[in-house]
Amino acid sequence: MVDVCIIGSGAGASPIAYELANAGFSVVVLEKGENYSESDFNKDELAVCRRDMFTPPLWEQKHIINEYNEDGTFTRYDGAESGWNFWNGSMVGGSSNLMSGYFHRMKPNDFRLKSVYGEIKGANVVDWPLSYEELEPYYTKVEQVVGVSGKVVEHKFQEPRSTADFPYPPLQTNGATKWYDKACKALGYDVMPTPRAILSEDSLNRKGCFYSNFCGSYGCASAAKGSGRAALLQKCKAKIITDAFVYRLESDNKRVTRAYYYTKHGVRHSVKAKIFVLAAQAIESSRLLLNSKNEYFPNGLANSSGEVGKNLIFSAGGSGSGRFVFEKLSKEQQEELMQPGVFFNRSLQDWYEFSEDGQKYKGGTIDFLFEHQNIIPRVMQEVYDSEGNLLWGEELAKNIHKRMTTSRVLTFEVFNDWLPTDRCFVSVDENVKDTYGVPVGVINLYGHPQDLKVGEHLAKKALKVLEELGCEEIDYSISASPPPNLVAGGCRFGEDAKTSVLDKNCKAHDLENLYVSDASFMPTGGSVPYTWTIYANSFRVADAIKEQLKSIKNQS
Amino acid sequence: MTTFSRRKFLAAGFLSSAVFLMDGCSLFGVTTPIDTIKVLHRDLFPKAAELNIITAPYMHIIFHHSRISKSDKKFIKNGVKWLNEEAIKMHKNSYVKLSSLKRQGVLRSIAKTEWGESFLYNIMGYMFEAMLGDPIYGGNNKEAGWRWLAFSGGEPRPKKAFL
Repeated sequence: MVDVCIIGSGAGASPIAYELANAGFSVVVLEKGENYSESDFNKDELAVCRRDMFTPPLWEQKHIINEYNEDGTFTRYDGAESGWNFWNGSMVGGSSNLMSGYFHRMKPNDFRLKSVYGEIKGANVVDWPLSYEELEPYYTKVEQVVGVSGKVVEHKFQEPRSTADFPYPPLQTNGATKWYDKACKALGYDVMPTPRAILSEDSLNRKGCFYSNFCGSYGCASAAKGSGRAALLQKCKAKIITDAFVYRLESDNKRVTRAYYYTKHGVRHSVKAKIFVLAAQAIESSRLLLNSKNEYFPNGLANSSGEVGKNLIFSAGGSGSGRFVFEKLSKEQQEELMQPGVFFNRSLQDWYEFSEDGQKYKGGTIDFLFEHQNIIPRVMQEVYDSEGNLLWGEELAKNIHKRMTTSRVLTFEVFNDWLPTDRCFVSVDENVKDTYGVPVGVINLYGHPQDLKVGEHLAKKALKVLEELGCEEIDYSISASPPPNLVAGGCRFGEDAKTSVLDKNCKAHDLENLYVSDASFMPTGGSVPYTWTIYANSFRVADAIKEQLKSIKNQS
Repeated sequence: MTTFSRRKFLAAGFLSSAVFLMDGCSLFGVTTPIDTIKVLHRDLFPKAAELNIITAPYMHIIFHHSRISKSDKKFIKNGVKWLNEEAIKMHKNSYVKLSSLKRQGVLRSIAKTEWGESFLYNIMGYMFEAMLGDPIYGGNNKEAGWRWLAFSGGEPRPKKAFL
């Protein structure tokens, strides 16, 4: 029997493996996907982005998606038939390998949304059982151990820090950021460099960023990106078992006793451990608990509250863009604009909280970045003319050439709270099985109207920057469409075992030895990408598990 | 091994297997997807040939690809059939046997239909994959597609094609 068995290997799993293995405990990590190293990663657009090599084919593994309609009905989508893909990286290190690493901490008020901003009709907003001050040391630990580069600048919503600045200086940026900084100054906006989970220089036995021009969606060949694999799993002696799809956790009335997994050839194995940690990403973690029902837990493991799968959240918001065109730029500016590799890295948090019509709203974050450099989608955008007719031949070639060689698109992404509601949750469909023969997860989707209202407010602020910059073709879209890579909730933590699945330390209220350490624990998500908070919380949970293991050792 | 070879043979045959073209209720003729796609690629994007890039053979990779679904493969084959049937309906001959002018007319005609628009979009997607994907896939001849657009592929480059 091992001390700890971890299901999943991403941002929620890897800090626990790292901390416990380095403290001398025996740790087994079960990962459905393959293990890669830096030398395996390349920038093959066809393999990574067109053929989705790091996620399962949808005809083998899919979700059922029920989208809520205005009239109270749901529209059902079969993931394989519709191509609606909620996988984010089935590999050792999970989707942290493929993230862009836009790292923002949550703010103190994010931990007490209900107390500060009040009830919201139709939403299940609650305060966290944890404060920012309690999590702060772990945010700092992530900066140092995983590696975060950036520069702290004072602004209205700068969260308190125990250290003055980031341990690594900001990454190099494109010359166009100077124009952005000037535009923000003219608008009275606070300029803020975006912190990134990317090393700007060689450190931690990893290389600094190579500025390959292809970061998000791709594995990092320099190991500069702070994936759970590069930063943590490769630096500990946890045993990693790949091709291990955990389909059931076995338990008695108090303890999980065994994790059962299948290989892709259908061979069944199991692992016994003193403590089990579930971190398969929010949707799959809830699915596994619901699929693990037994005589003691007839509604799903750790589900005496009936809350497993409930209050699933994503990141609300959307995106927008504007195009810099050569006609409006000097020769020198044109060269600066087209400089490849270096980042844009600018964020706005001026409206993390705002008031409208006498009401105080929780706002969010806006990140500015260049359009992804993948060339095929950029070219494919040109196959329609402005009236929506297909183009081909000489005219298409002329358009493509002009757009690719004499302009560049600046985009922005809006992150605001996706309010938790009764209509957005995970369930399972007993009648639809994946390639392993296991019931698939059902994603029930609903976006609260306030999410759209706040997103609109933020997007309009971002548009002003693009206008001030003289961009053309300025456009944006705020919608209730969920970003599959920004998902949380389903096993919220709380003090009350009747209304939450996990306790403050992310241990199941119902079981003595089951922890859930991915983003499932989050009752609300803050208005930032989740990864930094997942890492920080997982380091915190690792400390709690360490204490429990020491106590088990002392008892025996 | 025998099974694998047999399957490989069947897959290889997909692009050169017969597509039966119907004129109303009667059989008009027979073509193969690859014959039509060769001409179609040239009609849709003659710039590729100017750059010495040949895109049609890449469709063999697509038809063999472990990550392209059976229904996507079938859609392309059906699209080839429908394109030819539209050519027969308009000009009483299969697509490849028409003059360039008439082929453009057929393309304009099908682009107005839902299936035709979808088919052409689909075909162009794969065509640009061939032209602008890594040269290891055989299309982007000496990076001519990238050079045309002053684009640098990301480093490191793949050492083998993902099939």
